[in-house]
Amino acid sequence: MDSNKHFLVGIYNDEDLLMGGVKKIRDAGVKIHEVYTPYPVHGLEHALGYKRTRLPIAAFLFGLLGTSLALTMQFWMMGVDWPMIIGGKDFAALPPFIPVTFELTVLLSALGMVGTFFVVSDLKPYKQPRIFDIRSTDDRHVLTVDLAKNKLSKEEIRKIIQSADAEEVNEKDFE
Amino acid sequence: MQATSTIREPLITNGKTVHDVTNDICRQVEGKPTKLWLAAMALSLGVLTLGVYCIGMLLWEGIGVWGLNKTVGWAWDITNFVWWVGIGHAGTLISAILLLFRQKWRMSINRAAEAMTIFAVICAAVFPGLHMGRLWVGFYWALPLPNTFGSLWVNFNSPLLWDVFAISTYFTVSLVFWYIGLIPDFASIRDRATNKISKKVYGALSFGWDGAAKTWMRYETVALILAGLATPLVLSVHTIVSFDFATSVIPGWHTTIFPPYFVAGAIFSGFAMVLTLMLVTRAVFKLEDYITVYHIELMNIIIIVTGSIVGIAYITELFMAWYSGVEAEQYAFINRATGPYWWAYWTMMTCNVISPQLFWIKKIRTNIVATFIISIIVNIGMWFERFVIIVTSLHRDYLPSSWAMFYPTFYDVGVYLFTFGFFFTAFFLFAKFFPVINMAEIKSIIKSSSEKVK
Amino acid sequence: MKENKKIYWKGLEQLSKDPEFVKYANKEFAEYLPLPNEMPEEGSSRRDFLKMMGFGIAAASLAACEAPIRKAIPYVNKPVDVDPGIPNYYASTYVQGGDYCSILVKTREGRPIKVEGNTLSKVSGGGVNAQVEASILSLYDNERLRGPLAAGESTSWENLDYEITSKLRTISVNGGGIRILSNTILSPGTEAAIEDFKAKYPTAEHLTYDPYSSAGMLKANETNFGKRALPSFDFSKAKSIVSFGADFLGTWINPIAFTKQYSKNRKLGDDKKTMSRHFQFEANLSLTGANADYRTPLKPSQEGVAVVALYNLIAGKSGASKISGGSIELAHLSEAADSLWSNRGASLVVSGSNDPAVQEVINGINQLLGNYGRTIDLAKHTNFRKGDDSSIDQLIADLALGRVAGVIFYNTNPVYNHPSGAKLAEALGKASLSISTSDRNDETASLCGYVAPDHHYLESWNDYEPVKGSYSLSQPAIRPIFDTRQTQESLLNWSGNNVEYFDYLKDRWENNMYPGGLDFQKFWDTCLHDGIWNAPDQDSGEAPAFGGNLGNAAAAIAKNYKAESEGIDLVLYQKAGIGDGSQANNPWLQEMPDPITKATWDNYLTVSQSFANDQGFTSFEGKTNKAKVTVGDHSFEIPLVIQPGQAPGTVGIALGYGRTKAGKVANALGVDVYPLVKKVNDTAAYFVSGDVKIEILSEKYQVAQTQTHQTYMGRTFVVQESILPEYQKNPSAGRVKPKIATWQDESHKVAPGSLSLWKGHRYENHHWGMVVDLNSCTGCSACHIACQAENNIPVVGRAEVINRRDMHWIRIDRYYSSVGDPKDKSISGLKKLEQAADNPEVTFQPMMCQHCNNAPCETVCPVAATTHSTEGLNQMAYNRCIGTRYCANNCPYKVRRFNWFKYHDNDQFGENSSMNSDLGKMVLNPDVTVRSRGVMEKCSFCVQRLQQGKLVAKKENRRPTDEDVQVACAKACPADALVFGDMNDPESKISKMLKIQDLDDPKDASKVDKRILEPRAYHVLEEVGVKPNVVYLTKIRNKETNA
Repeated sequence: MDSNKHFLVGIYNDEDLLMGGVKKIRDAGVKIHEVYTPYPVHGLEHALGYKRTRLPIAAFLFGLLGTSLALTMQFWMMGVDWPMIIGGKDFAALPPFIPVTFELTVLLSALGMVGTFFVVSDLKPYKQPRIFDIRSTDDRHVLTVDLAKNKLSKEEIRKIIQSADAEEVNEKDFE
Repeated sequence: MQATSTIREPLITNGKTVHDVTNDICRQVEGKPTKLWLAAMALSLGVLTLGVYCIGMLLWEGIGVWGLNKTVGWAWDITNFVWWVGIGHAGTLISAILLLFRQKWRMSINRAAEAMTIFAVICAAVFPGLHMGRLWVGFYWALPLPNTFGSLWVNFNSPLLWDVFAISTYFTVSLVFWYIGLIPDFASIRDRATNKISKKVYGALSFGWDGAAKTWMRYETVALILAGLATPLVLSVHTIVSFDFATSVIPGWHTTIFPPYFVAGAIFSGFAMVLTLMLVTRAVFKLEDYITVYHIELMNIIIIVTGSIVGIAYITELFMAWYSGVEAEQYAFINRATGPYWWAYWTMMTCNVISPQLFWIKKIRTNIVATFIISIIVNIGMWFERFVIIVTSLHRDYLPSSWAMFYPTFYDVGVYLFTFGFFFTAFFLFAKFFPVINMAEIKSIIKSSSEKVK
Repeated sequence: MKENKKIYWKGLEQLSKDPEFVKYANKEFAEYLPLPNEMPEEGSSRRDFLKMMGFGIAAASLAACEAPIRKAIPYVNKPVDVDPGIPNYYASTYVQGGDYCSILVKTREGRPIKVEGNTLSKVSGGGVNAQVEASILSLYDNERLRGPLAAGESTSWENLDYEITSKLRTISVNGGGIRILSNTILSPGTEAAIEDFKAKYPTAEHLTYDPYSSAGMLKANETNFGKRALPSFDFSKAKSIVSFGADFLGTWINPIAFTKQYSKNRKLGDDKKTMSRHFQFEANLSLTGANADYRTPLKPSQEGVAVVALYNLIAGKSGASKISGGSIELAHLSEAADSLWSNRGASLVVSGSNDPAVQEVINGINQLLGNYGRTIDLAKHTNFRKGDDSSIDQLIADLALGRVAGVIFYNTNPVYNHPSGAKLAEALGKASLSISTSDRNDETASLCGYVAPDHHYLESWNDYEPVKGSYSLSQPAIRPIFDTRQTQESLLNWSGNNVEYFDYLKDRWENNMYPGGLDFQKFWDTCLHDGIWNAPDQDSGEAPAFGGNLGNAAAAIAKNYKAESEGIDLVLYQKAGIGDGSQANNPWLQEMPDPITKATWDNYLTVSQSFANDQGFTSFEGKTNKAKVTVGDHSFEIPLVIQPGQAPGTVGIALGYGRTKAGKVANALGVDVYPLVKKVNDTAAYFVSGDVKIEILSEKYQVAQTQTHQTYMGRTFVVQESILPEYQKNPSAGRVKPKIATWQDESHKVAPGSLSLWKGHRYENHHWGMVVDLNSCTGCSACHIACQAENNIPVVGRAEVINRRDMHWIRIDRYYSSVGDPKDKSISGLKKLEQAADNPEVTFQPMMCQHCNNAPCETVCPVAATTHSTEGLNQMAYNRCIGTRYCANNCPYKVRRFNWFKYHDNDQFGENSSMNSDLGKMVLNPDVTVRSRGVMEKCSFCVQRLQQGKLVAKKENRRPTDEDVQVACAKACPADALVFGDMNDPESKISKMLKIQDLDDPKDASKVDKRILEPRAYHVLEEVGVKPNVVYLTKIRNKETNA
């Protein structure tokens, strides 16, 4: 039986039940494929044992890039490539360069991070997501288990999920 | 886990369930456009067309069709620019700063507020563009691009150039922030969609969102960091706009108090504009349960605060002018209050300093009609603030020989109307085809807030 | 086979080994070419580039004007003296009616593009005025006739000559009279031609008249000295000047020369701590009155009495017998008498009145003061204003009676500019032959059977004798643009003498002027080169015998003038720009702000503040009402302007407006008031006393003014002034030295300029700067037009001036003293300061780009379109400008000008004739870009002239001197109030004037600073700290006390 094709899908109608459910199921040694929720359920990532995302680091690095780009650009353009006497000021000085530097830092940091987010979470226009249960974007929390990834049999897992306060449990197969 | 203290009144009333939220919000998107909506749309499109004509004339004939002259080089153009930018600020402020402060009440309004921000910033950007004598070259010469003019670069000393960076950054980041927020809701609509087109369109817009817990985790981080970035950004934008004046040598412009004063003013006018729009949307789309009187009251309180800050700034300016002992500076302010433009100054004072103080009275600040009226008055006042700063400072500066008056022409008004036409057209389209309230966020607080009405 | 090599000689020279040939044998061109190998080697590349550019522009501008130049030949063979890109100057003479100026004409690729003063001339002394500067544009006026007209239809000169000569013959055969009518003629050559004509047609007579006549003075001098002429005045010798309504700095007789002389004695310095004291008694605030130390408003109907009063005061001092009349209370009259008496022999009394009686008394006063032979020279008389006021009425009578059958109008337009114009117009129908030589089909020409258009003066040969013994020549600076012919030639031709006027002229000079000595050709060439020739000095100096009986004069005065006259006096005056209206179709002059009212494109009724108050009439920002003026049977509507200094009970209207056939620009501008000129003592009187009725209408009207705020609000950082006694005590009197508080300095106060974040940039080579002497500037506005011509500044038209969008790069701010106390800056005090005083002191402040070393405009330009040169110039890159107007907003001096519309090749701006027609475009300076729509522009310190000057100097391996680098405005200024130069050059005039010391203190924040030791020098808006390169000298008035 090859993986990522045959799933058991547990439906929850309440986030607190879901939290409990996830704990029970994992204690029972069932590997949870993923939980799909209509809104962010806080603490769920811990319950599922996800590692903390490293997106902040990306944001910081992109920001740094912005800063250095901005400063190099301004000093080079004003001070090196074509110095001109403007209002009796020095050709290149830091104070007047601060605003642009700040703006570019913010810009690159924001765009860079969001870009990274889209890439790592594989979000893009016209991507067809796998819908385990259409209600998962309305009001139901959908807990999925990849049968191939678990040693336990389908029936055992079904029991475990049902015992973990799931509203209903369905099978979902993808070709 | 949602921890909401029990003293607070519920943010969402009438015990809405999560499913109700989806229905209520998506109804607007899925249903046929109402007569009211069509009428409003037709009106704003009408105004837009008039505006387009005026812009056409402006570009064809030259800046001369405006009322500007050798003494007053900026008037309605930059007034409108600053006014629109200011309005934009509220959106970012609500979604970013209130997010950082974990103000849950923002959730019902931030979507629309952000939309307003984006449209307002577009309107604002129209003016730095159109006010240029040679737009056709200016729009790209103002960028540091390698060029055929012997790699002649831009002047990084110029506040106007700082504006270019500030405004474009601000616009981009707000847009991204807004869109990130929309993705999950697009997904909801996509999954409810019945006809092919909306399936396709919203399918594309939703970027294939599936609401996986992992994605939600990253999503929240991104939202938080964007908020963290947007907060200093929004403050920087109006600060930099105020540099246009603060770094100059013209009495009445050359003032160090401008940055904080402009930011406060921006938030002030922004919240007023949000209120105006919210109250309309609320009525039209029957969202009384999501945008409650409690929301309105909270915003009115912010208006009192910022309004008072602005008031203090005005007084400080007068004091500094007197205290500085600089003759031209003193005259600039005496002239504002008693010169040929006294009416503009006193309009500004009444609208911005006196009218918001009415909100100290609970009856008024919880009264929809009163709020609506005052919110409009405030926006008028804030327009005059910029007019007073720009025109009355320029029209009588150092050398009396050049003192002159500014008289607006049909085209000054017309181009201003264009932005209104555009703004409302865009806003109505948004209100019809996009979820006007952030469903995902609302859903996350339904449980906690609905408990009280159980 | 025997080889034979043919040799081809380049010419006989090669065969004969002519040394000249051998010298150039290896050269490509035998004649001189300005090629690099002719010049010092170093840095020739830039010069080449400039030459290329010059040629490019030249080619372009030649291509731009097809129609007018019928033979535009590419320079296959380089014409002698014409180097593309290098200007040529030709000495010539400007004469318009009776006005005179000796000039240099700047031509580029054969096109005259600029007029400048000829410093060699004793008469005009190198000065010019606005009308002279503007005359270059009249050369390219589209309204000029393309050729001769017969009965309104264009014809050929052959037909014209044939018909005219035959008609002349028949007329003279039948004994019918022939009249040549002209304005004052300064040209001996022309007079000779006219004599020849009269000789041929014995019934011909020559009549002269002047639109603005001085017949009164002529008559007075005739009675007193038996000499019907105007004397030469010397204001530079006069320590005390009294003028009764004579606007000698603006329009009176020879204003250019007078301004030169007058300003000499208004300058102050270490070596000269005294200046002339000037009293003015007048009705309208004239340019001259604005410069007076003491000005007293005086109704023209009282003038006679006042003059007699002054005579009696002087007589009292000199012990001469008094004359009857003269009982009048007049402020400053006795001071004037004292001042005159204590400076007798070095004083001058003049009057603008055209009443012989008044002028006789004036002569009497000058006689008593012993001014003849000192400040007044009747022996060396002038030939100005010889017109006779009765000539035209005589002509009209003769025409009516059929005594005259043929009339020739030699460059005159009496139908417009003579009070009896209308009568003449109908009488003209009776003449069987009427010819006008006008350059356009004007009011008179259009009534004439024939029009034989004369050349423009820049196309013609002529000679002049403005002052006895001082001659000057005019030579063509361009081939005649149209099929016109010089009138002298026409007259000779009609009198059967087919000589070219040039030869005729030359012969006359050979026979009459040529003093012998070196051969004539050399003499002639020198005169032509210099433009002038002064006959060896004959008798001059000694005072003529004074005759005539002032008693009659006093009687006549008693008859016509009253000390207390009721009713309103209407004064008819001339504006510095438009004058008598003959150049009315010149848009530069129409848009030149009047020096006093700062109004353009209009004439108007100037009324006193008291009059306005009585009528309850107010005006704001040029918004005013129209008034209905009724004088006798004439009645018209005209806008009102409240004029501070207008004598109570008087109103004024300028002549020269209301043209109907002058051309597109001038037609229907303002009101023609020539018909109002009446006669007193059978000379024209330029005021109407008595039956003047004024009724203010409800109809609103906007007068196009470039300055609407009258006072400087007691702002000492704008205008710094004092009085002579103070100055003598302390040369820096009136200076206000702003200080800025700091924390480090123990006195806590430093000069604003010394505070800076930046080190600044040192100007190693040149450091251009300018000095503006507020004491010398008379406000004449010659610089206005000079700048406009030099820098291709567009005319924007009346509507745009009303929108406050005039484009002038240099403006002359005119400030009145105000009723308020300059120190009182309270709200009410400021309101008072806004009102000009009833009889204000006037300050003229020329204002152009100050080329600040810390220029605020540069900092704010987002695209670096305006930056600073390494020579201290604030420069504009038009083609980089995107037109945000931020620079203009941030300019504390508001000298930047924006191209709101496309002013060139745009029918909406037809009045901007120098950029909207092929003909007009010929006046454009090829060295200066015509700015496109949407860009900012401003004074460039004539950078193109600086570059030119530097190149000239570089060719000669030396530093440019003041002579090499002269900006247009400074060159034009007849008062030498503007001095431009290199502040790095210790030899330059500016360095000496300002006593500049270089301060090279490394601790000093900005190294560009120069220490200026001249105590009168100050920077406008010093405390803003922008460090301008334009320096102003305080205004010093020669008054005993302030107030």
